Amino acid sequence: MSTPLQLEFRLSQAQRDRLAVFADLLISGGAGLPAATEVDVAGAWIDRALGARPDLVETVVGVLAEEGEPAEVLARLRAQEPERFDAFAFVVAGAYLIHPRVRKLLGYPGGAPEPSPAFPDEADAYLEDGILDVVIERGPSYRPTPEARG
Amino acid sequence: MGTTNDVADVLIIGAGASGSVAAKHLAEQGFNVVILEQGNWINSSELPGNKPEYELLGSGKWNPDPNVRAWDADYPVNVENSEQPVFMYNAVGGSTVFFAGVWSRFLPSDFRVRTLDGIADDWPISYEDLAPFYEAVERDMGVSGMGGNPAYPPGYNPPLPAHPIHATGRKMAEGLNKLGWHWWTGYSAIPSQKYRNQKQCARLGICRLGCVEGAKGSADVALLPDALKHGAKLITGARVSQVTVNEKGLANGATYFREGKEYHQAAKVVIVGANGIGTPRLLLMSMSGRFPNGLANSSGLVGKRLMLHPFGSVIGLYDDDLDDWYGPAGTQIESMQFYETDLSRGFVRGSKWHVMGTGGPVEMLTRWNIGEGARDEEFWGDQFAVKMKQAVNHSIDWIIHAEDLPEETNYVSLDHGLTDSDGLPAPKVHYATAENTHKILDFALNRALESHAAAGATKAWITHRNFSSGHNMGTAKMGDDPATSVVNGYGQAHDVPNLYVIDGSVFPTSSSTNPTATICAFAKRAATYIAKNARNQEVGA
Repeated sequence: MSTPLQLEFRLSQAQRDRLAVFADLLISGGAGLPAATEVDVAGAWIDRALGARPDLVETVVGVLAEEGEPAEVLARLRAQEPERFDAFAFVVAGAYLIHPRVRKLLGYPGGAPEPSPAFPDEADAYLEDGILDVVIERGPSYRPTPEARG
Repeated sequence: MGTTNDVADVLIIGAGASGSVAAKHLAEQGFNVVILEQGNWINSSELPGNKPEYELLGSGKWNPDPNVRAWDADYPVNVENSEQPVFMYNAVGGSTVFFAGVWSRFLPSDFRVRTLDGIADDWPISYEDLAPFYEAVERDMGVSGMGGNPAYPPGYNPPLPAHPIHATGRKMAEGLNKLGWHWWTGYSAIPSQKYRNQKQCARLGICRLGCVEGAKGSADVALLPDALKHGAKLITGARVSQVTVNEKGLANGATYFREGKEYHQAAKVVIVGANGIGTPRLLLMSMSGRFPNGLANSSGLVGKRLMLHPFGSVIGLYDDDLDDWYGPAGTQIESMQFYETDLSRGFVRGSKWHVMGTGGPVEMLTRWNIGEGARDEEFWGDQFAVKMKQAVNHSIDWIIHAEDLPEETNYVSLDHGLTDSDGLPAPKVHYATAENTHKILDFALNRALESHAAAGATKAWITHRNFSSGHNMGTAKMGDDPATSVVNGYGQAHDVPNLYVIDGSVFPTSSSTNPTATICAFAKRAATYIAKNARNQEVGA
């Protein structure tokens, strides 16, 4: 796995504790997937996500500083500041979705995209039952121009 | 100001698709070529595509919107008067570094819109004029695809075999066959096997974030190494402020900034290939006493007729495992079923469709949250896991391009109040999607929903109805009449005979399909003309 991108800013433990509550409200788990805190979203993975999107640090810190119960804060943001809600939810979900365990459970191969060049006859295998024949049999569909008509 | 005693035979401004095609051709023909590129080489180790965070990086530092990305090499773009953002990359290779690799020739009717449909303009050249140059650049850029497509005239036979259509393409093809609609295997400027400078595609599916494998036919990989090998000189980090002219009104070089210092490069012939936004910006900045409205602008059309070529998309979910992340990202299959005009649909011109690889989990997250209808459903909390499990590995994504007809109310001007890091005015984009374009997209998106149903989707929704494609065209129109066009059919400026414009700016109409193939073919044709006509060419320095 590649070296995580470095982020100079670090959330405090108090901020991480509050973030964990927000994250589990957004991603509660189920359907074979863990909840956000089960894969440490508020720990190393939010750091990694914010390393990729340092422009969203201010959004995350700002939402964590909102007064009120996290569920109420999220509901208020969704209703009154949807762009801010979307940015916050995006980076929290991004932190979750780059976790290798989550990716595996989703059926996505590998932490990062992995090379899998096609076999020499792989393209033919998708077509060998003549699936294109009906398209070819319908004949040309382009619109002739004066030049093409000669 | 720094100067050089070396007078280039040909100075090329912009090392993107068009400039690189011209640089390779002219350097191989023995011309002394200098290329000025405001961006820098991008090392493949810097690219995000082999990092777990690649999708997050693609929404930030590697965003296609220069206003979001804000690299040192970028210039800001004022989009206050534009419905759409503007996408481009300022780097060696230009926007080809980050294009999806979709390779799609225009169709014959695209060159004869006025003749066939009574609107817009015919091109001064035809499909048949361009066909040999399509073939040439397809060889240069490692294009893969299958011949025999009945949507095209005979003779469209890419040099490399087609890529697999994958489970996504196969599934949708079965649906299209039920409907009796056209489809064909995709064409990509990505080699299906090792080819010249390019490696075999590794199917990472991250083409739009730059190819970390060195497979994609981006200009920095497929074209520029040959140009440099034949003596072309590439100056990076060079932001051109003005194409200069001599006392006869001929172009004699360009002034540029590099690391804060101003230089002048003299040249006999100047070629501009800076994309549909950067090219009119430069021509407008190159105003002088002789050319008070901007260089080559006696027609008043420099900057006008901007076509941003908006696209739509429809995603469908299926019970099958579809490996929907596989590359090449650009095309698994394409459909030209609704490409040509059918007035019974209530609009002129049409759309081109292609099934793309959907991408990774973060892309799917986005699709749920921007989709029509889907965004109103409960997603967070308990539903997050249910919906992500339902979607990742189970989606097919239609991308639909509509022909965007030219309007003089869509244009690029200069904003002297907003400047780049060298103090040069930013382009200001004025753009609203025309009613005909909206009608094309609305019609096609509804048909795409029907195709998902025919293919067996359990759910489908529109994720984009009208969004910028990064295909910036039309702002230095080509034509035969100097009163109604900026350049002729070889890209030669009517007002300045040793100035050529060779990017998508010159397109009189946009077609319904992706423009890179035609940009490259046109640049090849222009460069061929310049080389053959050199003895008769008036020169400026």
